[in-house]
Amino acid sequence: MSDRMPRASGYFRTGYAQEIALIKTRLERVSLVVFVALLIAFPFVASAFYLDLATQVFLAAIGSLSLMLLTGFAGQVSLGHAGLLAAGAFTAGILSKELNAPIFVTLPCAAAIGALLGIVFGLPSLRLRGLYLAVSTLALHFVVIYLGGEYETKRGFSTGITIDAPVIAGLRLYGGKVWYFILLAFAAASLLICANLLRSRSGRAWRAIRAHETVASALGINVAAYKLLAFVISSAMAALAGALFAYYRGFVSVEAFSLFLSIQYVAMIIIGGMGSLLGALLGAAFVTLFPYLIEAVMQRLPNAQAYADVLFAVNYAAFGMVMIGFLIFEPQGLFGIWRRIQSYFLLWPFKQKPIAGGRK
Amino acid sequence: MATPFGDSTVLQLAVNIVVLSAIYALIACGYVLIYRVSRVLNLAHGELMMLGAYLLVATASSFAGNPLVAIAAAIVLSLVVGVLVYVLLMRKMTGEMALAAVLTTVALGILLRGLMVLIWSAQQRYPGQDLGLPNMAIALPGGARISIFAALLVIATMLIYGGLFAFLHFGNWGIRMRAAGQNPLLAAQRGINLHAIYALAWGLSTLTGSIAGMLIALDSGLTNTMVIIGLKAFPAALVGGLDSLVGALVGALIIATAEVLSIQYIDPLLSDVVPFLVLIAMLIVRPWGLFGTREELDRV
Amino acid sequence: MSPLLAVDKLEVVYHRTITAAQGINLTVNAGQIVAILGTNGAGKTTTLRAISGFLGIDDARVTEGSITFKGQRIDSRPPHEIARSGIVLVPERDKVFPNLTVAENLSAAIGLGRADRRRREEATFALFPHLADLRGRIAGLLSGGERQMLAIASALMCQPQILLVDELSLGLAPIVVEDLMARLVQIREQLGITIVIVEQSAAVALGIADYGYVLENGRVVLDGDRARLMAHGDIQEFYLGHTSGDRRSYRSVKQYRRSRRWYG
Repeated sequence: MSDRMPRASGYFRTGYAQEIALIKTRLERVSLVVFVALLIAFPFVASAFYLDLATQVFLAAIGSLSLMLLTGFAGQVSLGHAGLLAAGAFTAGILSKELNAPIFVTLPCAAAIGALLGIVFGLPSLRLRGLYLAVSTLALHFVVIYLGGEYETKRGFSTGITIDAPVIAGLRLYGGKVWYFILLAFAAASLLICANLLRSRSGRAWRAIRAHETVASALGINVAAYKLLAFVISSAMAALAGALFAYYRGFVSVEAFSLFLSIQYVAMIIIGGMGSLLGALLGAAFVTLFPYLIEAVMQRLPNAQAYADVLFAVNYAAFGMVMIGFLIFEPQGLFGIWRRIQSYFLLWPFKQKPIAGGRK
Repeated sequence: MATPFGDSTVLQLAVNIVVLSAIYALIACGYVLIYRVSRVLNLAHGELMMLGAYLLVATASSFAGNPLVAIAAAIVLSLVVGVLVYVLLMRKMTGEMALAAVLTTVALGILLRGLMVLIWSAQQRYPGQDLGLPNMAIALPGGARISIFAALLVIATMLIYGGLFAFLHFGNWGIRMRAAGQNPLLAAQRGINLHAIYALAWGLSTLTGSIAGMLIALDSGLTNTMVIIGLKAFPAALVGGLDSLVGALVGALIIATAEVLSIQYIDPLLSDVVPFLVLIAMLIVRPWGLFGTREELDRV
Repeated sequence: MSPLLAVDKLEVVYHRTITAAQGINLTVNAGQIVAILGTNGAGKTTTLRAISGFLGIDDARVTEGSITFKGQRIDSRPPHEIARSGIVLVPERDKVFPNLTVAENLSAAIGLGRADRRRREEATFALFPHLADLRGRIAGLLSGGERQMLAIASALMCQPQILLVDELSLGLAPIVVEDLMARLVQIREQLGITIVIVEQSAAVALGIADYGYVLENGRVVLDGDRARLMAHGDIQEFYLGHTSGDRRSYRSVKQYRRSRRWYG
């Protein structure tokens, strides 16, 4: 949660283009190509179960990237992310159920609603910081959930809204493989958007605001505008993720968007490592796969049946412990661990950076 | 609480408000105690409250014949739990950003919720019945009614607040607690044992929260809604000012009034969201609350 | 006579990767005023933090060496214990409790003896009469000089044996700095407190110090009593700003000359 750990030794760049390039070293380029090839090949070799897991990870990644943008880079704490996801999901649900709107209308509408809500969620950030801002987003989350619940009961969908599989140009979007690629595309697009935003003027402004607001405004950055921009973009992305979630599951209900979901997204960016896009992805993968890991472990234990019906409690307890573990021992998250490993190899055989001027 | 919904005399409404204020106030002082000394918002307070009630269930089965002993034992245990939470967990977060500590409390709350279900199962419990203490209603003049445990809760709140006020004005400890909250490094440098003060605050906070939890459980049973009640009390603390005890009392009164009146006259479904609406309103108008210290005197 | 405070071959590492101080040897005798000089990043504040027990905050640790106070090792003790045993720090930043009044700032301190808080307060106000007028003022609203006075005063309320003063002159007008330095000397005379001051401004520090250490890049490169330091050519040139006047070639560039002179 604190400043980025210093790199033990640097990679040296000789020009501005090199500095802001997305892919900086040959190693990065090669590993990216290999990774993309693996991703594309995956659905053809994996079972339906693992396909679903991967798809869920992509979905979570979109939400996680949006929250990382807002909290990890722009420094605006938000505990209300589930509210934004809910807004997107409900928009998609309501539009498709009440108005029979097609997917290419509901998705942009969801994003637009998200953007509007982003302004609402972002207004407190103009006056509040840190803890108070977090609390305001929490309160707004409850308001959004309440509105969703009201809609459900007043319109008679007390168990939730079902959504049919969307149809584009006569093609019915249904099935594990189709959704894998759709969500992979959306996740990749989100990653690109975030990466580009971050290496542009907005990204620099956000980093400055996160580091020190007063100094940022003294440097001529319109702090209020950029804060709102961060909220708007992040919320639009989150609402889009919510809408996609609604289509993927075919079902929207307000219980799915509890406070626990907000916490899970915050956990994603902490476990992943604040201030890093790679961290957002790692965190999304970790938190999404975690319950399945727990379930797999539980099934190996001797009296597995006894715990079967309280699996959610085991999940809670384990999740709480892991989150605490990261907050105490590795606040920089998985990315921090990665950095430590890097430093170790870069500095080897030294243990620490030697003092300038040599002799001891 | 055991108040009949249909009964809408003004006096009964007033009684409901007083009882709900007492509940929120008793829970809110726990938030204030910890925030005052360490700038941490303990979002696990609701779960700790519930843990206190479960401790009563546990001691009730051990001391089945002796309700007073059971209650006393549960109270002592809850104090120990609070201190342990600090010593084993929150101590590691001392010195980190307040937000990291708050997230740690959130994680703790999740952990506790899981553990409580694993240990005691998710069923509703009725420690009042376990201890053989029936919940009777007292008739008040004017046709209003109040259950005996609700009355006890009001009295407990008053006693606890009295005690806390006395403690904080004894010697310079009130000042030292605020000092520790404002500048912990400097406080340590001036001889204040931060770990001891934090542990004390956590112990007291968990104690007061547990008493609230126990009394609510004795009154209407131990259910999952207790955590929600705990969460609804933190707007009360914030509206009054997170580092002010007086503020917690006043904030509780405001939130309780708003909640009871809107349930009665607008829509019963609003009960869970009204405290947060009041909170948002206060954050817009006066973020540091009615009696809180205005923070961040920013002199570059 | 054994020194009151002895720092022996101290090494401090930040984030487990960056060495901030190495091989620091310092001794402070009772009743002295010792100055620690150096530019930014030289390791002065790190040394002070190590003495007062504050390294953990910045993820730094003492990896070698020891710090001894009155014959006992203090390098692993928590800050409040060190403060109560007699070493009190006046920090560089965040030196007061901003939302408490001046009077409350002074009452918050816990000192060596419980005896007579009133007497201690009176002695403090005698040294800083201006503060008596500001008793009810919120500390965050004080000016820089008043804040520094309050910081020193609240440190005195702990009845220290050693007062560590970190960068007193930072952000203050020269006349205020002069005044505060005179108070420090008064504190030494009247209350018998040993003082260690860390200063970037060598002229200010050497004005009142008996003995001085010069730090560069995390090492002590020179030490001596005031006369010796003020007469030393390098100190004169690089810290006091007296140049010798003739044209300089690249070989007279600071780093080059210093490294030749001190490392051979």
